[in-house]
Formats: sequence, C-alpha cells, structure tokens
Amino acid sequence: MELSIDGARNAELLARLRDDEELAFTYLADAAAVDYGVDAHFEVVYHLYSTRHPAWLRVRARVDRADPHLPSVTHLWNGAMFHEREMYDMMGIVFNGNRDLRRIYMSPDYRSFPQRKDFLLPDDAADSPAAGVNPLERPETWDLARFAAGEGAQAGREGPA
Amino acid sequence: MTAKTRIPDPIELDRAEEARLRASAGLAPPTATPEYAGFDTVAIPDRPPVTDREKEVYTLDEGEMLFNMGPQHPSTHGVMRLVVKVRGEIVVDIDPVLGYLHRGIEKLCENATYTTVMTYVDPMDYMSAMHNEHAPAIAFEKLMGITPPPRAEYIRALVMELNRAFSHGLMMGFLALDLGGLTPILYSFINRDEVVDLLSSISGQRMLFNFLRVGGVNWDVSDEFISRLSTWRAKTGHTVGLSEKLMTENEIFIRRTKGMGVLSGEQAVSLGVSGPNLRASGVPFDVRKAHPYSIYPELEFEVITHEAGDVYARYLQRVAELKQSLHLIDQIVDRMPHGPVQAQVPGIIRPKPGRAYAAVESPRGLYSVYAISDGGPNPYRFRMRDPSFISLQAMPVLMPGRLIADTMAIMASLDPIMGGVDK
Repeated sequence: MELSIDGARNAELLARLRDDEELAFTYLADAAAVDYGVDAHFEVVYHLYSTRHPAWLRVRARVDRADPHLPSVTHLWNGAMFHEREMYDMMGIVFNGNRDLRRIYMSPDYRSFPQRKDFLLPDDAADSPAAGVNPLERPETWDLARFAAGEGAQAGREGPA
Repeated sequence: MTAKTRIPDPIELDRAEEARLRASAGLAPPTATPEYAGFDTVAIPDRPPVTDREKEVYTLDEGEMLFNMGPQHPSTHGVMRLVVKVRGEIVVDIDPVLGYLHRGIEKLCENATYTTVMTYVDPMDYMSAMHNEHAPAIAFEKLMGITPPPRAEYIRALVMELNRAFSHGLMMGFLALDLGGLTPILYSFINRDEVVDLLSSISGQRMLFNFLRVGGVNWDVSDEFISRLSTWRAKTGHTVGLSEKLMTENEIFIRRTKGMGVLSGEQAVSLGVSGPNLRASGVPFDVRKAHPYSIYPELEFEVITHEAGDVYARYLQRVAELKQSLHLIDQIVDRMPHGPVQAQVPGIIRPKPGRAYAAVESPRGLYSVYAISDGGPNPYRFRMRDPSFISLQAMPVLMPGRLIADTMAIMASLDPIMGGVDK
C-alpha cells in the first residue's frame, strides 16, 4: 500500500497512522530520502508496519527541492533520529523540530550533500576534459568548477588550494 | 524522473545553502573551519555545539568529565567512537560518533549495474553478507517481476540460516569476551570457521560471498556439500553446548548481565530496534513471519521471545535463535527439490520503471532495501536500512546510571557491526 502526501503534513498524518486504534502503524521500519533530480523534487519515504493487520504501508512525502523543510517525526518515534540525521547529512533535508540535526557520517565541517543527484563523483570527472587526473583524497578541496571548465588537469596537479 | 544529470558540484553554493537552510530552521549557522582538520578526535570538539542535544552532552556540570571510547577501542566492534560523560565511575550520558567506516555504499550502488550491486553490499554488515545480498536480490526481482526457481530459494534459505548460525555464535563469544571471559570466543570461532569453510566451498569467498544473483544463486550445491553439512550439523550442537555451558549458568556472567540494560518493549519499538534485540524485549516481530519472503512460509518455526529485555535475555535470545536456525537447516536440507538454480535474466538488467521494497530478517534484525528503477541499467535510488545502525540509538537510553565497565556489555548485547552502521 502506498500513500503520497505533501511533506508539510507528514508529522500530522504519521501521528494519526500510529495512534489510530484501527490502523496502529506503530513500527517505523524505514525512512529515506529520494532525489528526483535538479529540476524536480525530493521525497521522504516512510515505511511503516502494523502488527494489528499485519500490514506494511509506504508514505511518500513530497518536499520542495528549493526549500527542503519538513516537520520532524522524532517526537513520534525516537528511532527516527538517526534516519533524519542521515537524510540531513546525505541529502540536505532539514527536519524542523529535530533536537540533534547534526551530520552523522561526514565530518562536521563537510559542506556538501553527497547523495544528491547533482553531486559529482570522482569517476564522472573522467568524462570531463580533465580525464586521467588522479582524484585527490580530500573532496572538499576539489575545485570541480575548474574540472568542468577543462582546466582540471592543471587544477589537479596544483594540489589542494 | 530525469536521466542522471552531470552538473559540477558547486561546493561554495552548497555552503551558502546549508547556512540558509539552518538559519530558516532556527538552527545555529555552521561553523566553517578554514582548513579541513579531519574528524574531531578529542572528546570535546573545538567548535561550539550546534544542536540542543549536543549542548546537553558537551556541557559539563561540577564533577563530570568526558572521555572517548574509541575509535580504535577493541570492544567497539569496529571503528566507532563513544563520547562518554561520567561522574566518577557512573555514566551520565553517551553520544555515539559514527562515520569512520563510511564508504557511501548507497551512492556506489546507484552508479553500479544491478548485477554488480551484489558485490558492493557484501562489506556492509560483514557478519551477515548473505543477508545483505538477499534483500537487494528480492527487491530487484520484484522490480523485474521474476521469481527464482524453487531450488534457488531453498539454497538461499540454507545459506541464510548458516550465516545466522555463525553470526549468533560469534555474538555469544564476543559478549563473553567483553565481560572478560576469553574461552567462549575460541569455541565460537571453531564453529564459525567451520561454517565459513562450508560457505566458501559453495561461493568461493570466505566472508564476502557474492553468492546470490538476481533471479537465483551463483552456484548449485553439490551432494558433497550436503554431506559435509550433515557432518558439521552432527557435531555443532556439541560445540554450541560448550559455549553455552561456560556462560548460561555461570554465576559471574549472570551477575554481570541480568537486570542490566533493560529495554522495554515500548521503548524498543519507538527506537526502531529490531531482530533479536526487539524479541528479547517481548515483541514478537520477526520479518520472516511479518513480511514472508523466500520459502519461510513453508518452514515450521515459531517466533521466539524473551520478556526481560536485559543483556541476559538478549544473550538467551541469540542462543535460542541459533538452535532454531539449526532446526531450520535440517528442514531445508530434507525438503530441498532438484532443478535449476537461476532464472532467465538478461545480461544487462534494465527493469521497468518502478519501486520495490524488500525486507529480510538478518541476524541483527530488519534489513531492508528500497530500490527505485528509472528503466536504466543502474538503480536510480538504492536505499539500505541497516538494523545495527538503528539499534545503536538504544545506547544513550540504556547507559545513564550504569558503570563504565557495563558500556561494553550492553554494546555487545546489542551486537552492532560497524560495517553496517557506517554503510
């Protein structure tokens, strides 16, 4: 089963799904973010399980890519904390009301969101005019704009700025 | 859904965007450090706390101190750091710091073909590599609308239960090791090495098996394997019994584990804890029953639960499930049909656009994959939910008020594997 909703309504709806006696979707199995591309939107996907039926439910909450905010559900499930921290870290989605929205995998001074579809992988640099440059080990110092502009070979040899 | 766009990543723009996002959410601005200094390895980071929770952990009252456990501590089951706040010998708060083993497997899989995804997911939770392969295999089969032949399903279930048997056996050993008992781990490793030998004889690899394929398994099992399996099966009860004899009735072990780290069923559900940890708290949630997959609906087994929810109950839960796995192996071997082990699958897999969710019961709990296809040769989105990542959130709930020495016992009873936690 699947429900598509607007991101702003997620906490309200999930609270009803969890607390309703008939529905009783008490277990949050998964929460993940999907990036549908630069000219589209994000989606936060919740997978819920109800022991009562038993049944599984997928809730897809749509989030605007230019303004990726939605309410946190950590007050409903404490375990949503790591899910939301991961989504913030990897996709840059901000959960309003989350008490601990820190990066979880990347270092605290990392400033990019690696799982977005417009994040450039080192392998993709091989398709650019700068092919053959050994990627540096410190991605946050890469000047990828220069890679794309075709002066990447030089940029690579200079080392980090 | 658009095709993969290749736009250079504007790091500077991202920095500005993060600052803007944080400001509009009412959070403190990110503290930009001019030079990348690696991970914070001191207990107190040299930057102001950004979130409420961070303030709570890193603000010290009179008589409190912070120290690091890890990232190289042998008992953290991998590279992970626990920032522990103590007052004397009593733990006040605990903050797990992750990411030391982060490899970005989800992103790698989104840039790999459906067939090669199987090699990337193996080193996730390296104690249950077979389960790691099972969930993506099921998800991709759902996307393609194919079913593996019955013999392949039986072989899959067989290797899953073998994998569960050695993983639970090792957990028993590691729990004793973390409490200071050195002997059980040796018995556990005897058992584990025998299973690993069995599995490597059919897959060719010791730990990262790369055995499952979309639509079946890589190799058929031979009669020789089945006879080796029954030799192992005949003596494994004895080997498990040896570990058990050392621990289950051991008074020191009981005193160290009983009543410690009690997780109520309600707390466990709220935290998303799954698998043996959840069932040890009395919640009968087993994915093999709740989301039936493979041949599990045909096998006879009951969901085992324990009520206490403490470290000892989690240990007993593992022992009981290990024995249950052995019974399941017997059933599977008895009923295994003959036939092909691989369905017809094109060389380059291009499923129709769609989305699929597949969950399996790994030794650590609910391991699930959510895969989205856009019709291309690689998954558009590949999401893995690892049970140990989520179970780790129980640490800050269980630890306050316990002694420092109990940290490792509670941690070992949750049985997290850092390869899975850090993806």
